[in-house]
Amino acid sequence: MAAAALREQLNALLSSMFSQGLVDEQFQQLQMLQDEGGTPGFVAEVVTLFCDDAERIIAEIATLLEQPIVNFDKVDAYVHQLKGSSASVGAQKVKFTCMQFRQLCQEKSRDGCLMALAVVRNDFYDLRNKFQTMLQLEQQILAYDPKQQ
Amino acid sequence: MRQSGSAIELKQLPRLSLMARKMIRVLLVEDEKIHRVVARAAAKAAGVNDDYVLDEAENGAAAVQRVREAAAPYDLILMDKQMPVLDGHEATRRIRAMGVTTPVVAVSSDVLPADVEAFISAGADDFTPKPLSKEKLGNILAKFGLA
Repeated sequence: MAAAALREQLNALLSSMFSQGLVDEQFQQLQMLQDEGGTPGFVAEVVTLFCDDAERIIAEIATLLEQPIVNFDKVDAYVHQLKGSSASVGAQKVKFTCMQFRQLCQEKSRDGCLMALAVVRNDFYDLRNKFQTMLQLEQQILAYDPKQQ
Repeated sequence: MRQSGSAIELKQLPRLSLMARKMIRVLLVEDEKIHRVVARAAAKAAGVNDDYVLDEAENGAAAVQRVREAAAPYDLILMDKQMPVLDGHEATRRIRAMGVTTPVVAVSSDVLPADVEAFISAGADDFTPKPLSKEKLGNILAKFGLA
């Protein structure tokens, strides 16, 4: 019973992540690769890599934008990297924000980049919280049904 | 099989070599771990792990070295663009300068026509946007007769 309730919670969470545009078809592809490849923990690994990368990149961008003279090429390179990681995990909203962020880098607008950084940070934290909840629910479900491993 | 080199034994050799399947060797050149992890899973799903060997290099310089020192030529090279030490464009140019004709497929999230053209000018044979998927890899392998 409890496992069924947890699965329902997990399905509802995933459904809302898709409907809110937080994740896209690529995230579904990752789940398929996990299921077809018989590699449990694959999605968790990719999600964790994305979250670690994003945390680091956002911190690097923030430092660059604090400098008296901003190196917009470096900022753009980091945003490009974050966009790539987002695309790989299916983080649609973060990816789209990065695309707009790159435009502001091209325009060499510090204020614009600072605003974009705030938005991308916000979008990332929102997604990271949901990913963490997702992984916790999956662990709880596995605890009830180890055969799923 | 007998050790002496009789005509009968020598006739058996071509049949035996046809029976032995050649392993297809693929080199993935990518600096970021997340992309390597996803590419590995996509490669496994596309069948790259059964009759294929998937090698990895974390930057263009390592890729050039791998190609230069490989005991057998690679059958396919998947090349990222933006990498430390040596980027994908320059790595592709240097591999071509070595006389290597292995198909090089650029894999990048920069997908504007100018980005694609820059890679092709450097010597790449094709381009596919990131992230790699089972379908994209399957199409690439089929295109170059490796499926």
